[in-house]
Amino acid sequence: MCYPSANSSHAACFGFMSGMFGVGGGFLMTHLLIFVGIPPAVAVATEANQIVASSVSCGLAYWQRRSVDVRMGVILMTGGIAGSYAGVQLFKLLRELGQVDLLISLSYVLFLSVIGGLMMRESLNAIAATRRGQPIRARRPGAHSWILRLPLRMRFRQSKLYISVIPPLLIGFFVGTMSAIMGVGGGFIMVPAMIYLLRMPTNVVIGTSLFQIIFVTASVTILHSVENQTVDILLAFLLMVGGVIGAQFGAIIGQRLRGEQLRALLALIVLGVGLKLFIDLIIQPDELFSVTRMGFGG
Amino acid sequence: MIYRRHILLAGLVLCFAVAPMMARANTIIADLSKDHISIQSNFAGEKLLLFGAVEATVDGPISDIIVILRGPGENFTLRKKQKKLGVWVNGAAYNIGPLPGFYAVASTGKLSQMVPPDILRQHNIGADAMNINFLSSNIEASEQAEAIAGFIRLKQARALYAEAENGVQIIGGRLFRAEINLPSGMPVGTYVTEFFAFQNGRLVGYQTGELPVDIVGAGHILHQAAYEMPLVYGLSGVIMACFMGWGVATLFRRR
Repeated sequence: MCYPSANSSHAACFGFMSGMFGVGGGFLMTHLLIFVGIPPAVAVATEANQIVASSVSCGLAYWQRRSVDVRMGVILMTGGIAGSYAGVQLFKLLRELGQVDLLISLSYVLFLSVIGGLMMRESLNAIAATRRGQPIRARRPGAHSWILRLPLRMRFRQSKLYISVIPPLLIGFFVGTMSAIMGVGGGFIMVPAMIYLLRMPTNVVIGTSLFQIIFVTASVTILHSVENQTVDILLAFLLMVGGVIGAQFGAIIGQRLRGEQLRALLALIVLGVGLKLFIDLIIQPDELFSVTRMGFGG
Repeated sequence: MIYRRHILLAGLVLCFAVAPMMARANTIIADLSKDHISIQSNFAGEKLLLFGAVEATVDGPISDIIVILRGPGENFTLRKKQKKLGVWVNGAAYNIGPLPGFYAVASTGKLSQMVPPDILRQHNIGADAMNINFLSSNIEASEQAEAIAGFIRLKQARALYAEAENGVQIIGGRLFRAEINLPSGMPVGTYVTEFFAFQNGRLVGYQTGELPVDIVGAGHILHQAAYEMPLVYGLSGVIMACFMGWGVATLFRRR
């Protein structure tokens, strides 16, 4: 497994974006890796390995500030590890059928357009509101309290919640599956789900999300190594190094831009990547054939 | 008696077949600039020099030389995209092989002008003469031809199949040299070199040799671990990530 086409400058570029926007950015990086010629299956598994490192480095600060709900994290993680197992098995099956690239592309088109659309709407509203001179109100949608009143309730002291473990298990499972298929941490799904569905207090949300991402992406890395042999440790290492350097510069630029402008810019990038993937799926490719060594699909 | 006669006949035929081979054994003599290729983790491809000398025969000097470098044989799965529900997805799959993962031909001129097609096919010279075997049956000839063309196109695009019509230069009528590009994605294994000397479409000299291609250094250890100890490999990846993440966090706090 030698993929010299990807190097640390790509990783630095990604780190730059992740530092600038303050997102994990797995969804952009995986795509960037595919774009420079890394096979999609390798990009996904290797990116999961890199996210372990970035989640550890970010998560440590939250851990020291005690803003991690460990019990909630463990529940989410349990669902997440089960989900990652399901995801890797699905990945393996589709790889043998030669359809894994399609699975990755379709998942990305779906998620990038939904997430990009929501982010764009939110940031445009915020920009419009500041222009009118209105204060931005944090809006919380109506309670989905029946979900939280399902059986198997548990007390989460740190989050000041007494809710059923079924919704966090399901959310964890869903995000774990996505993580295995798309090579993302899934924070961009997990964080809104924690705030709006589980009604967790915002001060523990990021720390708890990072806490479970560490374990779920670690599980994805190990499972992909065992089942698909698609983790490239050398490439992951380069990504980690580049990510650190890039994040430094990204954070400096990020501080000079306003939050909502930054989010609108990120939304544009997300929508752009989603659109490009969608176009690639519907226009006739120049080369209809693809070749792999027999038994090494994807 | 009849059997014995057959054996005798077969022996005679064999003698006639082998004799010209032996006679022309020293018409061409060749070597490579390297006796093995080591792929390190920073391997970005390299050039291999193939060189040697040809001896003139009674018919005059030899001007038609063909050099082949062939990678180890593998089976491949070829997939063709089809439009389904408005989306281009992988449709038909063909298993083909065994075929070399790498194949480069260099010659002093156009293959078809130097050598008759049946001889090219007999010695497997050139991608067009390659015998491509479909492992699944019931595939129509036109479909096969399309798939084969696609396969060769894909390999060429990654520089894994290459034909250089004027890739062999003859110096002073006796020495010859050829350069073959080894791309970064070349498969590992034992490669075979073949040197052919032709005169008026007739094979007058032949030499073959081997070229081992291996992954070495850290890349080799990782490659082996990934396939032979995948659990340890995955765990190492995670441990490395944890240390990197922890290191970065500590480094940044000091600022």
